[in-house]
Amino acid sequence: MATVTLQNICKSYDKRDVVHDVSLTIEDREFMVLVGPSGCGKSTTLRMVAGLEDITAGQLVIDGVDVTHAAPQKRDIAMVFQSYALYPHMTAYRNMAFGLMKTTKLSKAEIDSRIHEAAEILNINDLLDRRPKELSGGERQRVAIGRALVRQPKVFLFDEPLSNLDAKLRNRMRGELKRLHRELGLTVIYVTHDQIEAMTLGTRVAMMSKGRLQQVGAPMDIYMHPANTFVATFIGSPEMGLIPCKANGTGMLSHTAFQAGIDMGQAGLPDDLILGVRAEEVSLTQGIGMARGRVERTELIGAEALLEVAVGDERITVRGAVAGAPEPGTEVGLDFDLSRVRLFHGKTGHAIDLQVDLQD
Amino acid sequence: MTDIVRNTQAASTATTASTATTAANTVAAIVPSPFSVVLRWMSRRWQHFILAPLVLLWLSPMIWIVLTSLKTKVEVFDPDAGILPAVLNFANYPATLAVAPFGMYLVNSILVTGSILIAQLVTITLAAYAFARLEFPLKRFLFTLFLLQVMFPIYAIFLTNFVTLRELGLINTLPAMIVPFVASGYGTFMLRQAFRQVPSELSDAARLDGCGHLAILWHVYLPLVQPTLVAFGIISVVTHWNDYMWPLLVTNSDSVRTLPIGLGLLAKSDSGADWTRLMAGTTLVVSPLLLVFVIFQRRFIDSFMHTGVK
Repeated sequence: MATVTLQNICKSYDKRDVVHDVSLTIEDREFMVLVGPSGCGKSTTLRMVAGLEDITAGQLVIDGVDVTHAAPQKRDIAMVFQSYALYPHMTAYRNMAFGLMKTTKLSKAEIDSRIHEAAEILNINDLLDRRPKELSGGERQRVAIGRALVRQPKVFLFDEPLSNLDAKLRNRMRGELKRLHRELGLTVIYVTHDQIEAMTLGTRVAMMSKGRLQQVGAPMDIYMHPANTFVATFIGSPEMGLIPCKANGTGMLSHTAFQAGIDMGQAGLPDDLILGVRAEEVSLTQGIGMARGRVERTELIGAEALLEVAVGDERITVRGAVAGAPEPGTEVGLDFDLSRVRLFHGKTGHAIDLQVDLQD
Repeated sequence: MTDIVRNTQAASTATTASTATTAANTVAAIVPSPFSVVLRWMSRRWQHFILAPLVLLWLSPMIWIVLTSLKTKVEVFDPDAGILPAVLNFANYPATLAVAPFGMYLVNSILVTGSILIAQLVTITLAAYAFARLEFPLKRFLFTLFLLQVMFPIYAIFLTNFVTLRELGLINTLPAMIVPFVASGYGTFMLRQAFRQVPSELSDAARLDGCGHLAILWHVYLPLVQPTLVAFGIISVVTHWNDYMWPLLVTNSDSVRTLPIGLGLLAKSDSGADWTRLMAGTTLVVSPLLLVFVIFQRRFIDSFMHTGVK
């Protein structure tokens, strides 16, 4: 196993930048998740690590060796594709053996023992004689992972491997991947657009948007302290409510629906600010509350209720109890958890490190 | 396919039988009228009424050829003689073989058709892969040229091809019949379309598994486009096996002639066409193709169904 270092990696097609100046280090045995909306460059970044795309500028180092321009098979990596990419005309066994026969000088017996070892781990011993056509989606997925495992590479690359599975199976495979990573001590780079996968699988998460790295950190770190409004709304479900406010000179944060006093500990605060509030950081109150809002929509999702509340022109989501959840149209009072809400720069969207004191 | 048809037939017969038995048991007095039985049979097998005449229509030339080859010369022109030969007369076959060295023609035909097929499979595979998966300058323009070659009538380039071959000193040799056909715009186009259907993630996976372009082509693409290759193979073999014009133009000695030219010799005898021998010869010429088709029938039909080539 090994570390992977991306230094100022860029990718452009015909002068159109797709990936812009990405620098990232994946530590040994780390599960790094690249997450972002489609078209953000995460898959391209992964394909550059794999060697399937040329690196326009920058440097890629795996285990201390510069592999920026090395052929894919020289990089000691294995990849699991979204569509699994199993060879349709080969059995599961041949699929797993093919790469070993091509890239290593292992004997038949050694290849055989590696395949059975991997099949044991993935519980696919009975499927080895079957062709991909005769396997279910989940089984194909296991064979595809098996094909990567037998290579015993330094780094595993996953390109949205779970997005072709149904919700239930995806959940199970997520647990399975987590277990494999823990038990086998794999170094993984995992691409997904699903923030839940990012949160649950990653030891660290790298958030990308428009070809740029937005934030890198532990999942809960990113959840609690998003670097900007983009990360704030992408990570976490339901998404964070954003309320644009004005800061007036007297240290008050004002909005049509409420006013809040700010501790002006930091000078040079911009006039326009955005208040970020997660659903669990707001509570409904019987009294007047810090702010007033009107319930627009009530979703009962079993254990709890998600209420969409209009505060002025903005809408935020509030978690509440199912029992006594207010009907749409009801006026409610809202209390914010002052220790947790956050502020963003109104123009750039960058997070501002500040203690907020809300008053009604 | 046939198995399924057979099964459904068996099943339907079984159902008919069981309904008949139940009917007989419950209302013994009422027997289904023969008319309604026929009607029911017809409604279930109506396709056969369309297919049977078509089969006859397609088979009739073949049947006529074989029957005529078994007749005597007199019988062919006798208006009173029936369609069937009075006596089975196999003498036409040795007589035909005596007219020209058909054994040599057969060897030549196999050499020419086989060489063309092998050469074409190599060239179209490589060209189609390049057009389907590689990026290179003038790719679109070159592909348009390939398509243009498909649209060009082959007769239009006979003269230039002939001149080129004469310059090369190849006239009246076997290569003269092979060289002009080693590349095929049509085959390249057909195979390129098939290659484009192969998911690009498969070649990505193969690259990670240590394959270069040729290995990807050999291990991934070719196994997956087998039906297309077979379909193209049939078209190519049939075309060049039956080709008459070009071999006639570039050959003038027995040692390099192919079977269709041999047949032509029979048709052009001074005494007019020698029908019985001509038909015997035709039977001999088409039988290798027919034989191959019968052996690989299932495979061929699958391929054409798969590729949608008609």
